[in-house]
Amino acid sequence: MPRTTANGLTFHYQQSGDGPDVVLIHGLTGDLSIWFLSRTVSALAENFRATAYDLRGHGYTDAPETGYTSLDHARDLLALLDVLEIRRARLVGHSFGAVIAAHAAVLAPERVDALILSDPYFPSLRHLEDLSRWGHWQNFRREAEEAGVSLSADTWYDLTTFFDQVLHLDDQRLLAFRRAVGLPGLNRVLRLARTTCGADSKLEAGLGAESIARIAVPCLALYGEHSPFLSTADYLMENLPQCEGRRVPGAQHRAPEEAPEAFVAAVREFLENLGPVARRETCT
Amino acid sequence: MSTPTIDSRILEDLRRVFRDGLGVDPVEPIAPETKFFADLGLASIDAVVLGEELQKTYGRKLPFSEMLADLGAREERDMTIGELVAFLRKNL
Repeated sequence: MPRTTANGLTFHYQQSGDGPDVVLIHGLTGDLSIWFLSRTVSALAENFRATAYDLRGHGYTDAPETGYTSLDHARDLLALLDVLEIRRARLVGHSFGAVIAAHAAVLAPERVDALILSDPYFPSLRHLEDLSRWGHWQNFRREAEEAGVSLSADTWYDLTTFFDQVLHLDDQRLLAFRRAVGLPGLNRVLRLARTTCGADSKLEAGLGAESIARIAVPCLALYGEHSPFLSTADYLMENLPQCEGRRVPGAQHRAPEEAPEAFVAAVREFLENLGPVARRETCT
Repeated sequence: MSTPTIDSRILEDLRRVFRDGLGVDPVEPIAPETKFFADLGLASIDAVVLGEELQKTYGRKLPFSEMLADLGAREERDMTIGELVAFLRKNL
């Protein structure tokens, strides 16, 4: 499998197609397979060179103990673009992957042609969201409960607690959890749980509200119709100079899994209607 | 070559790719009814890597993206080794 060293770590990536570069960034606890299962890679490969990679701590990429803020991940991404000789790219990020994409656009706007932000929630915009709308977390809690992991009802999407619980499961619960996620799945969660990923992903790490509002590249805020983060979607559309909004019908927080066809159609339409170097003047 | 002969050769190739490419060498030998996720305990990321290893083994592009996308659309999100063999027989 293609691997390369960037920022001192070995990254697993996959590349497909020819054309302008599109880089796909998955969310926390996921991996690049989401872009294959949703058919995003094969659809984009018709007109673009699509590159998907596993974030540090995820999939087949190395998992250092520390360095899991959006800033660390964005530096990884820019280093990866260097070694893959991708000068400029359109970035598509899902969930925390979109936070990483936004952070990369803040660090190196000259290398980012456009951004698709799929359902992110930003640590610095946390005040916008209402905890009671967090149905996704309640679903996640229920799934975890069935797998032997108890999580508090009144915390936000709390990876730290989740990881801590998984690391301290007794044998019987560990077996239940292993049954639910499979052995490699369990091993990957345990590997990530031993890092600072949980705590780091809650940090602003320099991506404050003002930095986000200054992202001037063409941008699509793509959110599930029933996303828990629609206030963030509104904020992005109102505050970014070139940000349009779109909702994926039928989806909650995980549109690439919940409504892959509509998700891919929206991604294609946005990316294919961007000129090669064109900058649109208007904000919808 | 007859279909059963081709299939048993492909199954041999698969066992080797699983062992050398993915580090999967179960106590029970991999059989047509073995399930990729439920029995071998693999994850979808492993299916991506398997697809790539098989393209390397056979030295040609295979429509693996399609296969993975079909897998993503399945209720059960699993496939048997037999299905994989049939896919390879059709596309080799």
